[in-house]
Amino acid sequence: MIRFEQATKYARTKGIKKPIIEDASLTMNRGKSVGLLGRNGAGKSTLLRLIAGAIKLDKGRIIRRGKISWPLGFQGSFQGSMTGEQNVRFVARIYGVDTEQLIDYVEDFAELGPFFKAPVGTYSSGMKARLAFGLSMGVNFDYYLVDEITAVGDANFKKKCQAVFETKLKDSDLIMVSHSTGTIRTYCDCGVVLEKGKLTYYEDVEDAIRAHDKNMKEN
Amino acid sequence: MSYLFTHFRIVGALLVREMSTRFGSKPGGYIWALLDPAAHILLMTFIFRAIARAPALGTSFALFFATGYIAFQFYQAMTTYLNSAVRANKALLSYPNVAPIDTIVARFVLQIGTTTLVAFIVLGTIVATMRVETSLHWPAIFEAVAMACLCGLGVAMVNSVLFLKYPLYEQVFNIVNRPLFLISGVFFLPDSIPAPYHDLVLLNPLVHIIMGFRQGFYPEYRAIGLDMEYLYGFAFLTLFAGMLVFTFSSKTLRNE
Repeated sequence: MIRFEQATKYARTKGIKKPIIEDASLTMNRGKSVGLLGRNGAGKSTLLRLIAGAIKLDKGRIIRRGKISWPLGFQGSFQGSMTGEQNVRFVARIYGVDTEQLIDYVEDFAELGPFFKAPVGTYSSGMKARLAFGLSMGVNFDYYLVDEITAVGDANFKKKCQAVFETKLKDSDLIMVSHSTGTIRTYCDCGVVLEKGKLTYYEDVEDAIRAHDKNMKEN
Repeated sequence: MSYLFTHFRIVGALLVREMSTRFGSKPGGYIWALLDPAAHILLMTFIFRAIARAPALGTSFALFFATGYIAFQFYQAMTTYLNSAVRANKALLSYPNVAPIDTIVARFVLQIGTTTLVAFIVLGTIVATMRVETSLHWPAIFEAVAMACLCGLGVAMVNSVLFLKYPLYEQVFNIVNRPLFLISGVFFLPDSIPAPYHDLVLLNPLVHIIMGFRQGFYPEYRAIGLDMEYLYGFAFLTLFAGMLVFTFSSKTLRNE
C-alpha cells in the first residue's frame, strides 16, 4: 500500500515556484498496477521519485508498505571506471540481497559475455541499458516504478525482457508513467491523473484515460 | 535496529566503492592513496632538512616537520575529501535508501584509515632511521588525531550544505583555507611567537592540534598555550553545527 496524506510538493527553479501536487491524499492498494497520466511537464516523473523516496515532500507525508524499486532501467549510478560486475555488487550490497546470486542472475540475463568484467565506461548504450534492466529484474520488489518503458536490445532480447517482466508482475505491482495510453492500458488496472497540482484516482484505468484525454482536449 | 543495520551495510558498500573508484583506474589502485601523500611528506621533509639548520624542537628536522604536517593532514585531508562527499555521490542518492550522511560516514572512515596508514609509514620510517631513540606518548597522539578528525568532520558537514546553497562561499572558503598550512605551526612553534601575535595564532584550533600531536613525540615539549578545553569546545561545536545544518537541509543535499 502507498498512501499520500495531504502531500504537497513544489518545483522550484530560479525563483519560479510551481506546484507539482497540492494537498493531495490518495491510497494505492497492493495488487493493483497504477498508471500515472498527465500532460507534459505536469510533474509525473517527480511524482515517481517522490513515491520512491528519492526526494522529499514539502508538506504532508507518504506512507509506504512494501519494497519500492528505483526507476526501472536506472543507469545513473553506474560508475564508468568500475566493471559491470562491481556495479551490480554495489547495488546488491545497498539493497542487502545475496551478492553472488544477483551477479549470476544479471550476468546471465544481460548477455554481456566477457564485457561483464570490463569497465562500464567501455559499454555501448545498448549494453548499459541491458545491464540496467537485468539489475532491475534481479532484485525483487513489491512495487516497480517505471518511467516510460523503453525497449532494450534486439528482437530476441526484447522478447526475453517481456517474458521476465510479465512473471514479475504476478507478485509485484507497477507504478507506471507513460505518454502512450496503449502501454498504460496493457499493464495497469487503475489510473491516477495529475492535472494542475491535483491527483485524481480512478478505479478503472479506462476512466483515467478518458479523463486524461478530456484534459488534453480542453487545452 | 534494522534501520541502523541498513546504514552500516550501505556505508560498507560505499567504502568499497570509494576505494575502487578513487584510484581504481591506475595500476596499484588504493596503494596510491597511501604512497602519494607519504612520498609528498618525505620529499618535503628532506628538502626542508637541507634548508633549515636545526629544528625548533629535538634534533631531527624530519620528525619536527612530519609531525606537524601529519597532524595538519588529519584535519586538512579530511575536510577536502569530505567537502565533496555528497556532491560526488549525487547519482547514488537516486537510490532512496542511500542517505547523504552515508556518503559522509564512508569517506570519514576511509580517510581516517588512509591518513593513519600514511602516518605509520612516514613517521615509522623517520623514527626507525633516527639515531636518538624516541619515546612515544600515545594518549596525546590519539587525542590530537581524534580532535583533528572531528573538526574536519564538522567543518565538512557544514560545507557540504553551504557549498551547495552558496557557491560563492566555496570560493571564499578556499581562499581563506589556503594559507592555513602556513599559520598553523607546521614549520614553527607557536611558543616562539612574540606577545601580541601569540594570542592571535592560538585562536586557530589547528595550532592546538599540532601542539598536542607533537607532545606525543617530544616528552620534553611543554607546549605553552596549549588549551585542550578550547580544542574540545571547538571540535564539538563544529560537529554539532554540522549535524544541525545537515539534518535541516536534507532537501538541499538531495539536490531538489
